[in-house]
Amino acid sequence: MIAYLLNLSTLIAIFAILATSLNILVGFGGIFSVAQAVFFGVGAYAAAQMALNVTPDLLVDALVGAAAAGALSVCLALPALRVRDEYFVIASLGLQMLAVTIFIDMKPLTGGIGGLVGIPVPTLFGLSLANPDAMLAACVGFLVIALALTRVLMRGSFGRSLMSIRDNESAAAALGKNPMVLKTLAVVLGCAFAGVGGALYSAQIQFVNVESFTMDQSTLIMAMVVIGGTGTLAGPLVGSILILLLPAALSFIPGIPPTEIGAVQQMIYGLVMTLLMIFRPGGLVAFQAWRR
Amino acid sequence: MLLVQLIVSGLQTGLLYAVTAAGFAMIFGATRIFHVAHGAVFALAGYVFLSAYTAGFGWTGGALAATVIAVAFGAGMERFVYRPIQRHEASFFTVFVASFGVSIIIQSLIEMIFGRGFVTLTTPLAQARPMFGGIYIAPMFWIVLVVTLVVFAVLWAFLRFTRTGIGLRALSESPELLRAYGLSAQRLSALVFAIGSVLCVPAAILKMAITGMQPSVNSHVMLISLASTIVGGVGSITGAALGGLLLGIAENVSITLLDSQWSEAASFIVLFAFILLRPRGLFGYAVTR
Amino acid sequence: MTSLLSLRGLNRSFGGLAAVSDFNMELESGIVTALIGPNGAGKTTIFNLITGNLRVDSGQILLQGTDITGLKPHRVARLGVARSFQDLRLFSHMSVFDNIRAATEPTSWFWQGGEGEARRKRLGRVEMAIERAGLASVARARAIDLAYAERKFLSMARVMATGANIWLLDEPASGLDPRSRAQFVNMVRRATTEGVTVLIIEHNLDIVTEVADRIAFLDQGRKLAEGGAAEIMQDKALAAIYFGERV
Repeated sequence: MIAYLLNLSTLIAIFAILATSLNILVGFGGIFSVAQAVFFGVGAYAAAQMALNVTPDLLVDALVGAAAAGALSVCLALPALRVRDEYFVIASLGLQMLAVTIFIDMKPLTGGIGGLVGIPVPTLFGLSLANPDAMLAACVGFLVIALALTRVLMRGSFGRSLMSIRDNESAAAALGKNPMVLKTLAVVLGCAFAGVGGALYSAQIQFVNVESFTMDQSTLIMAMVVIGGTGTLAGPLVGSILILLLPAALSFIPGIPPTEIGAVQQMIYGLVMTLLMIFRPGGLVAFQAWRR
Repeated sequence: MLLVQLIVSGLQTGLLYAVTAAGFAMIFGATRIFHVAHGAVFALAGYVFLSAYTAGFGWTGGALAATVIAVAFGAGMERFVYRPIQRHEASFFTVFVASFGVSIIIQSLIEMIFGRGFVTLTTPLAQARPMFGGIYIAPMFWIVLVVTLVVFAVLWAFLRFTRTGIGLRALSESPELLRAYGLSAQRLSALVFAIGSVLCVPAAILKMAITGMQPSVNSHVMLISLASTIVGGVGSITGAALGGLLLGIAENVSITLLDSQWSEAASFIVLFAFILLRPRGLFGYAVTR
Repeated sequence: MTSLLSLRGLNRSFGGLAAVSDFNMELESGIVTALIGPNGAGKTTIFNLITGNLRVDSGQILLQGTDITGLKPHRVARLGVARSFQDLRLFSHMSVFDNIRAATEPTSWFWQGGEGEARRKRLGRVEMAIERAGLASVARARAIDLAYAERKFLSMARVMATGANIWLLDEPASGLDPRSRAQFVNMVRRATTEGVTVLIIEHNLDIVTEVADRIAFLDQGRKLAEGGAAEIMQDKALAAIYFGERV
């Protein structure tokens, strides 16, 4: 039981990092991407390769994951940000679907459909993180750093510039802000964070495979941000906690066969997201209650 | 002549994509609503048809059921989801997430009822027979060709000659004009959703009969419709149809060049190429900032 | 009197319709020039051409001798041209304070240059803009929650805070009550005494009389007349065009 709770908590911390990463794009930047799982995956694969071949040090692997995901995101950002919002969504949708095929295809890097197994136990500053308590602590540490970094950046001039572009791009440009540069920076930052999440994930599960990086996963991350609330720090946290606790909650309801839990979950996210958009678009932790 | 064979099968896929994409383009062009749930309409139509058909209602019964459900769903989305959202805060984000949420609900429902695997309709019409020049064509191909051409002809006539059709074209070009003329933009919106959704029905039925479907067809169709609209150019229904045709052919022809799993990726590659090099698509208005 | 901004032979059409035709103007520095004319005369289009929001079909725009034709809007802004919009375009989810503060932070990197001293100066400009626009009582409110006049003044405050020496104001006082109008006039007068050059599009002729030193009259994309405010305002032929009594 304790092991189960520790694992769940660690996963919550990891997904909270993912939700925060998407929030930088969607909530603060107004950049709608449904491909966050792709960068989650890139980070996971990169970190796994590091752990298997170079060092299982979690910090190093996380930085490698961040770098890989961040670098790749530039390729998505540069062409796609030149056009309107709708186009970026479509491009990210296409990227997500393309990525699964690519992940399966690049067997030497990703292990193909089978994935990468036997990832060594992570270490941090020389100490082994084999103990689930220690791993949880490390992941929470990363989460705290991610949140702190997000707060500092979003409260500073970068955040203001980003949000001004989100709220009205032409007015922001009229004040001297370069929308392309700012949005690209936001994408790289957000995707790098997702890469960190991926690295932690591969270290925690000690196994990475493409099933974790599909459209369903991107949808999950999006649901966390949307339901928790965009543009706030607490929103993604709330969202990730609620959504990761959902499967456990569902297992208490009689009459749902275990094979269907996945579909029921998805249905619930879909329903909650749609209802929220109709009645309370800011999410649960709206940054101010919507009047009207 | 493998290439010709692939072009023929590409044409078949492409025609189905074209009709579906035209439906999406019509809705998006007229209402500017990013109706990603269009893929869900397609899936619903296909599965409803299958259920009705296997329950003994045959082709007509099945087609009828599929049409009713598609129209009800499309109009329902407009009335119960998009309209309330537009009343208070119609940002791109809220509309997109709501639409996406609904498509997830539908996909999950289908998964629960029909399972995750492929389901299909077995029919001798789908079996390929040798035709001229050693190319194998199934009777189904001709059915697809005729049906889609008829649908496009009807659509074209409707948009060009009927009052409502002209009103719809006005809606996409300048909604303000409509309001000035006192035509009910609301009624036209509901109508355009109904018509756009109906366009999915023949395509979905034929797809069910030819290759069958799995629940994830929802996302695939959604992407193809969006991609076709971009390739063809936002604001152009003809463009979207041509875009769909192009993507269908690309998907099939690419099998000669790439592995089969990459053929689906071929459409995305075409899409990225257009976004990079010609975002306005073949016929659309300039969309770069 | 030096010419700060030169517009030479500007042309711009939309699908065959000429929005701006062979427009020439030399903007004199340190004064207020008003662009007036009936609706659709091309006034906002000219603004968009200057700021780079629209591309010129032909013509040149010189800022203190440097050719800025075709530069992207954020570059034009960084060269000292600040602009307000007819539809305001406030940052709706940000506070009044942040809206204005955003105007003082033009660089796009993760931080602005120059610590401490520069930061204090920027905040000083924000405080100055808030005070002059009379927005102190709503400084923490969200832009989306403001009343009409407050929104107009926030738009002005953003322009003020940029520290730019050229202001392009697009109908900044439309719909304001008399007292707010007086406040607005004061803001503009004060700015010009501090060396700002203002180009203003305005329909309200009372405001034009109170604020403008020079007037350029546009109709259907062409400049029909230009001169001192008083002489233009008294021109009967122009009045006829403006009020729709065409001969």
